[in-house]
Amino acid sequence: MSTPVLELRDVHKAFGAARIIQGAELAVARGERHAVIGPNGAGKSTLFNLISGMFTPSSGEIRLAGRRIDGLDANAINRLGLSRSFQITNVFARMSVFENIRIGVMARHGIRFDLLRRAAAMRAVNEQAQALVERVRLAGRRDTLAGDLAYSEQRALEIGMTLSTGAEVILLDEPTAGMSREETAHAVELMRDLTKDKTLLVVEHDMDVVFGLCDRISVLVYGKILATGTPAEIRADRRVQEAYLGEEAA
Amino acid sequence: MRRHHLLLLVLVALPLLVLPPFLSLGLQNTLVSMLVAALFAVSFNLLMGQGGMLSFGHAAFFGIGAFATLHLMLAVEDGLGVPTPLLPLAGGLAGLGLGLVAGYFATMRAGVYFSLVTLALAELLHTLAPQWDGMFGGEAGMSSMRMPWGGLVFGSVLEVYYLSLAWVALCLLLLWAYTRTPFGRLTLALRDNEQRVRFMGYDTHKARLVVFAVSAMFSGVAGGLLAFSNEVANYTTFGMPVSAQVVLHTFIGGSTVFLGPVVGAAVLTLFAFFVSDLTRSWLLYQGVLFVLVMLYAPLGIGGIVELHLRHMRELRWRALAGPYLGAAVAGLLIAAGFVFVIESLAVLFSSDYAVLRRDAGGLPPFPFLGTEWQPLSPLTWLAPLLAMAAGGWLASRAGRRIAPLWDEARRVHTQGGETA
Ligand SMILES: Nc1ncnc2c1ncn2[C@@H]1O[C@H](COP(=O)(O)OP(=O)(O)O)[C@@H](O)[C@H]1O
Ligand SMILES: [Mg+2]
Repeated sequence: MSTPVLELRDVHKAFGAARIIQGAELAVARGERHAVIGPNGAGKSTLFNLISGMFTPSSGEIRLAGRRIDGLDANAINRLGLSRSFQITNVFARMSVFENIRIGVMARHGIRFDLLRRAAAMRAVNEQAQALVERVRLAGRRDTLAGDLAYSEQRALEIGMTLSTGAEVILLDEPTAGMSREETAHAVELMRDLTKDKTLLVVEHDMDVVFGLCDRISVLVYGKILATGTPAEIRADRRVQEAYLGEEAA
Repeated sequence: MRRHHLLLLVLVALPLLVLPPFLSLGLQNTLVSMLVAALFAVSFNLLMGQGGMLSFGHAAFFGIGAFATLHLMLAVEDGLGVPTPLLPLAGGLAGLGLGLVAGYFATMRAGVYFSLVTLALAELLHTLAPQWDGMFGGEAGMSSMRMPWGGLVFGSVLEVYYLSLAWVALCLLLLWAYTRTPFGRLTLALRDNEQRVRFMGYDTHKARLVVFAVSAMFSGVAGGLLAFSNEVANYTTFGMPVSAQVVLHTFIGGSTVFLGPVVGAAVLTLFAFFVSDLTRSWLLYQGVLFVLVMLYAPLGIGGIVELHLRHMRELRWRALAGPYLGAAVAGLLIAAGFVFVIESLAVLFSSDYAVLRRDAGGLPPFPFLGTEWQPLSPLTWLAPLLAMAAGGWLASRAGRRIAPLWDEARRVHTQGGETA
């Protein structure tokens, strides 16, 4: 395997005495869809927080395309090409769907502190934002305030915003949580489409989604990666069955 | 929406341009104060309403703008070749400079901590200024004179008024343009969710600092205009009353609408002018108004107007007319009762009445509204209390009839949005 696009080496994170991540090892290959599964409280969201720069690891290394990113600020990590969504919807509630997406597209174009042109006159930005609104199937809600959207629409927007900055590595934290079966199928299709030529790392509880969408799976239990492999390998792994899948089946 | 804006502009701009020469000197002066307050409030609201940062110390930037302008005026008196109409620019530059320094620290924090840092910085200046003779003229403050320039004498209030009008119009235009720029849109995102902005690749400390500095700069221009108009300033310009006034103007006028703070500044400044001769309790009424707006109409005047414009088509105006009229009458009844009580108390506790009381040796009737009232008669107090009670009853009745009509309008509005 060539250099992984995202790599964690012996990453630890403790909050006071609580050692939440204890030596996590992970290597995500460029272009793959990689799931992180594990019981509630295993530390999946914490792992995402460490990778995306919300927290600094207590020790260990995190590399993005070979470059150390642990300890960098979240905004710098995003500019290096890694973007994440949030388990709890985290949008700009009093702005329209279109504007939510456009903030990210602006960043993609390096338009950050521009006070000298009209937002409405940024042609490429507005076109790309519009295109992304359509791709996440919110065209009919383009001008609705994000705070007024239905829950599943907000989750779609959450994904759209994560993709809007043009990052190559996408982290999605439980994108289908709380969705109906139908909405989940919808969201899976969306994720498949949107991450076609990207690298995806996704936390997901729905095993149908995981086995259907992802190339490889890592199992996180008590802050450690217990196993990594293809869906078939993971299904067959005894330790995984004991630690996690067993209780699902039961 | 566009046509509303244009109409509004004509309705507001025309009287502002044409009327002042026909007004009294006092009113002309008040209009200058109004313009200054309006610019200050919109600058403040760039930070508050758009950037989501509530500053409790914006007097710092207003004040520094005033002093910087006075310093430049002194230099012009001594022969420096700066055109007089450009003097408020010094206020803008000083506001920008102080805004960058103070903002660097304040924007490290959000929420209450941000507010407290701004409060502390302004208080610092407020206590420092009287000690610092060279910079702020010590306790007495500074004064200077407007020099004639290019055929303009700047001796009359009217000239000052039109110069202020030009500056305020220009600044409001720039602040409006700000909202249409990419960074203006980002400012709203910072307000809604700073964390998400950070995770979308923006250095949010830097971004909030820019918003802060721009707001401070325009506040400085407002302060500069005040100094230009008054030709004096002292350390009280840095005081809490100034910081609080701009908060009041903004919230009463409505922070969610661009021109809301202008409405708040205009209404309160003009009201103060007309009422301050009649009562000493104006600040009390203003405070009560603020509390009532926060409790019952947190959108402020501008926000309410905007809400009605937005639901223009969905609202059943015919059905609303009755209860709205009822609410207006209720408001008048409550206000009348309340004002009666407060003003009567003001008379009863005045030194004039103390003299009457001493001469009469008891509690003599007190004069108010052209007649005499018995302070111990229940009738005196029953009337205003009854008015307030009737007003309260009428208000709640009207409220109960208004609420479902609005619910319906909102429902129709969002459904329309879905199919569009
Ligand atoms: N900021 C924090 N401070 C203290 N404890 C935390 C913090 N964030 C997460 N934790 C703890 O870490 C554990 C793992 O949480 P989380 O990463 O959210 O799990 P998961 O996403 O796998 O369900 C939980 O016990 C949680 O209480
Ligand atoms: Mg989680």
